[in-house]
Amino acid sequence: MSVRAPRYSAWSLLRGRFSGPGFWRPLWSGRQLQKAYDVVVVGAGGHGLATAYHLARDHGVRRVAVLEKRLVGYGNVGRNTTIVRSNYLLPQNHYFYEDALRRWETLSRDLNYNVMYSPRGVLDLALSDGEMVSLARRGNAMRLAGIDAELMDRAGVMKFAKELVPAGTRRFDIVGGLLQQRGGTVRHDAVAWGYARAASALGVDIIEDCEVTGLVTTAGVATGVETSQGPVAAGQVVFAVAGHTGAIGTMLGVPLPVETHLLQAMVTEPIKPLINSVLIYVHPHGEVYILQSDRGGVVMGGFLDGFPSYTREGRWSRLEDVVQSAVALLPQIAGLRVLRHWAGTNDMTMDGSFIIDRIRYDNVFLNGGWCYGGFKSIPASGAACAQFVATGTAPDLIRAHTLSRFASGHLLDERGGGPFPVRL
Amino acid sequence: MMRLTCPFCGARELHEFQFHKTAPEPGANPFAAVYERVNRTDISQEYWQHLHGCRAWLYVSRNPSTGEVYQVHLLGTQS
Repeated sequence: MSVRAPRYSAWSLLRGRFSGPGFWRPLWSGRQLQKAYDVVVVGAGGHGLATAYHLARDHGVRRVAVLEKRLVGYGNVGRNTTIVRSNYLLPQNHYFYEDALRRWETLSRDLNYNVMYSPRGVLDLALSDGEMVSLARRGNAMRLAGIDAELMDRAGVMKFAKELVPAGTRRFDIVGGLLQQRGGTVRHDAVAWGYARAASALGVDIIEDCEVTGLVTTAGVATGVETSQGPVAAGQVVFAVAGHTGAIGTMLGVPLPVETHLLQAMVTEPIKPLINSVLIYVHPHGEVYILQSDRGGVVMGGFLDGFPSYTREGRWSRLEDVVQSAVALLPQIAGLRVLRHWAGTNDMTMDGSFIIDRIRYDNVFLNGGWCYGGFKSIPASGAACAQFVATGTAPDLIRAHTLSRFASGHLLDERGGGPFPVRL
Repeated sequence: MMRLTCPFCGARELHEFQFHKTAPEPGANPFAAVYERVNRTDISQEYWQHLHGCRAWLYVSRNPSTGEVYQVHLLGTQS
């Protein structure tokens, strides 16, 4: 019943080139929704697909379904700025994100699908002495954990990122930066497609256009989900729904420490190679990150829109703010035209760190609250969440990321900003 | 949603306002009032401040799925 996609290799690609159009098969086959599964994963984004893939590959769970309201990769896995890095301050976070970064390094081989991991370096910039102190603190924390981090002075930054050489007058000069060389970018759509293809090859049913509308429970235990295609029995249920995490909490009657905010990104017309790494600058009134895609477009993003929204329509003033910040850093790009801009819905927690935990029922799991870290954490999240679901015990990497930490006071407040996702 | 109508200043651009949080359910305990949020996709009742204007605290109800603003009141005067 499962249609095996051909294993990709130099030989198979060559053969495909001369075999005509029939050689290429859909990456994941359109299967029918069954009546019952061992595990139902809600949401076919990066986290849902990776969780299903690891459940099937590492834990031998036979019957796994991924139910998706729209299309594979419609949500944030296709809407981010493709950046991967592990330059976090808190140990609970940087060990987890480092695990993710190590998995990114070998993911193309693991999935037999080219996700185009590009370790071009992630450079956090400082335009003041105070910002240098903050970067040094974060860099030291990373190095103590064995994660690569290099603190650079102005000359070091100018040598590494030649595009920063002033092409006009820069209002604030660069003081230094913190470089994580192994950080970089990954082709985001390929991650969704690669995980979907690999999971499908392991027998996972990926069902699109299937909205989960409710949870079915009997005597305090979840027994399945209601969907737009009818009821489905499930031994365990995993919610990995990104921006709709808060709505899932409302559906289950559990108010969550989560707000949904829009985060915008944009890409310009393609130009010749200019920006060699990922440039990030966080300033007191927002932030900006800039990179150049393999196609040549300059990709930019910034801070959240700042109020709850599910519209996926960004707010104009934030777009202006990001562009102004980007042009202040790189005056050369001032004349470029923006081709597209879009927004994703971010599930922001009250301490800025994610949640992987049981929610209300022993056999219902929540994988959410990813804030800005959703895309870069996909491989580690999938592995850890699958282990939690399959064994019933949270692996060490996510042991601190419980839902109860907010009540017990064991917050993972990376930013030190208090119980508000947005406070500038 | 591009503008909010401040009861004192009239319709003003959104960037003059700062969102604070969703209004807690009546009778919410202190933990819930600080950390938990009301996440409804059809209506959201929120505290805002006209921070870069008259600095009044506002009570806004709107639809977070469409962006439609239903009502803006001075905080404490909402029905």
